[in-house]
Amino acid sequence: MTTNTAGGSGATAHAMAPAMAPGSIRVRGLSRSFGATLALAPIDLDIEPGAITGLLGPNGSGKSTLMRCLIGLVRRDAGEVWVDGLALEGDGCSIRERCTFAPGEFSLYGHMRAEAQLDWLVAGRGTEARERARQLAGELELPLRQRLRSYSHGMKRQLLFCAALGPRVPVRVLDEISEGLDPAKRGVVLELLRQEVRSGTTILLSSHHLGEVQRVCDRMIFMSGGKKLSDESADQVRARARRLIRLRFEAGTDLARVEALAAERGASARGRGEGELLLHLEAEDPRPALAALFGDASLPRPLRVEYGEPSLEDLYRDLYGEEAC
Amino acid sequence: MERTLRAYVLPTIAYVVLLETMLVAALLYWPNFEENVGALKAMAPIDMLKDMVDTLAQGGIEAYVVGQHFFKGCNTLGTAAAVLFAAGAVAGEVHRGTLEVWLARPFTRRRLLLERWIAGALALSLPIFLTTWTTPFWLGFVDTEVALAPLMLCAVQQAMFLVALYSLTFFLSTVFDNPMGIALTVLFLTTLEFAIYLVKVVTHWSVYRLTDIEVYMKIMKRGELEPAKFWPLVAATGVFLVASLVSFSRRVP
Repeated sequence: MTTNTAGGSGATAHAMAPAMAPGSIRVRGLSRSFGATLALAPIDLDIEPGAITGLLGPNGSGKSTLMRCLIGLVRRDAGEVWVDGLALEGDGCSIRERCTFAPGEFSLYGHMRAEAQLDWLVAGRGTEARERARQLAGELELPLRQRLRSYSHGMKRQLLFCAALGPRVPVRVLDEISEGLDPAKRGVVLELLRQEVRSGTTILLSSHHLGEVQRVCDRMIFMSGGKKLSDESADQVRARARRLIRLRFEAGTDLARVEALAAERGASARGRGEGELLLHLEAEDPRPALAALFGDASLPRPLRVEYGEPSLEDLYRDLYGEEAC
Repeated sequence: MERTLRAYVLPTIAYVVLLETMLVAALLYWPNFEENVGALKAMAPIDMLKDMVDTLAQGGIEAYVVGQHFFKGCNTLGTAAAVLFAAGAVAGEVHRGTLEVWLARPFTRRRLLLERWIAGALALSLPIFLTTWTTPFWLGFVDTEVALAPLMLCAVQQAMFLVALYSLTFFLSTVFDNPMGIALTVLFLTTLEFAIYLVKVVTHWSVYRLTDIEVYMKIMKRGELEPAKFWPLVAATGVFLVASLVSFSRRVP
């Protein structure tokens, strides 16, 4: 059993935030704990409208709690939230009228036909939302007459995606929306998000997949341990990614000399594993460091060199050291 | 609301059919019962049952109808239905993993919960009124009759008792996660309460004293509800419903 602790405002009046653009999200000092566990440290956010903002972080980093707090599914312990100019108050129903939410972990009603489930998901959003959700489901080739018990997890995820994109709302909060999708469907979903944002919608997207976030997001917020670690534009993240090199060697290889030589050539170690070394380049050009490492035949021979497309974990190590992972 | 009500249609139909079948079987058995009441009393294994047979014999067809339909039929089937309808109301969503998608829609939690509570309460109580309303018709087959108006008042008392039990289970469903555990716990408690009812020295501790033949016979005779037995049920229902709303407002998906 889990229950919310008291918190937030119980009032039903809706305060408007001064001077906020429609579709924007503003968060000030938002925090939430579950018992002794701090799920969300006091956090500030300003998300501008008409863009896709990615929330990145490992499991338990606070991404889902943040999203749930934004729309009132989880009551906050402290802090203020405004979505589309409207303050979050009471149980957040007025915010949910202005945005759609697709949860990361979910189940649907197996006995229902997909069509009925879709209608149920967009209930209260009007006929247009229902028609649009069905149209999207058609585009994704979902068999709407089938019962959901025959749907795969990926198909259910797509149905949820259709329900989240059906209504014409200024803000969409999508938690792990492409999780469980095959690469082709993931591409379609991401393209639909790009189309959506061109019409001025604000999208807050959480994901474990750095690649997809890099592909569609204009901005990325990294979280860990309930804290916002960084808030960067996609270009800034790409630039940082270009400074990371991962080297893999035979297990048990002594990497002390490799590390020392790399340091001389402007590449500091940011992470070490069994036969692995993550280097951060001081300059963008990797060639001097690589030439030095590969030019010395007395150094251990690398089995694999990864450059330019670091994993989310590598980016974390680069930003915050090994403890952050 | 329409969708919520629709979910209760099939279980409610099953509940009505079972209740009506039990009622018809009992009413058609009346002539045999009347003839063999002495033998039945002799067969009763415990004092409380002997007293009950006495009450039925003295009260005639009215006592027999309220005893069979309300005390036996509605209390047993109705208790099961109350637990069945309420145990999964919120805990079922948690158990299925659908709580978050249920809550994520643009409806207040209060509305979601009240819709569900009302739908279940209607599904639970309407069959009692419906089957009670058919009673005079079936009594015609055994050449006897009972006034419908006081019988319907008895149905109000019975429905209120079950709605209070339903509200208690509903409240537990907003607090805990396992619908099966909730159902088994409440069924165990109600069975215990019924067992207490059957033990003469502690029978006054049983909640089934609020819905036994004695209560119904008073309603039949006076033609009005007995406030001391009716309003506590209304109050309990209100308390459990408010507690459910508070608990649900704090529930984390």
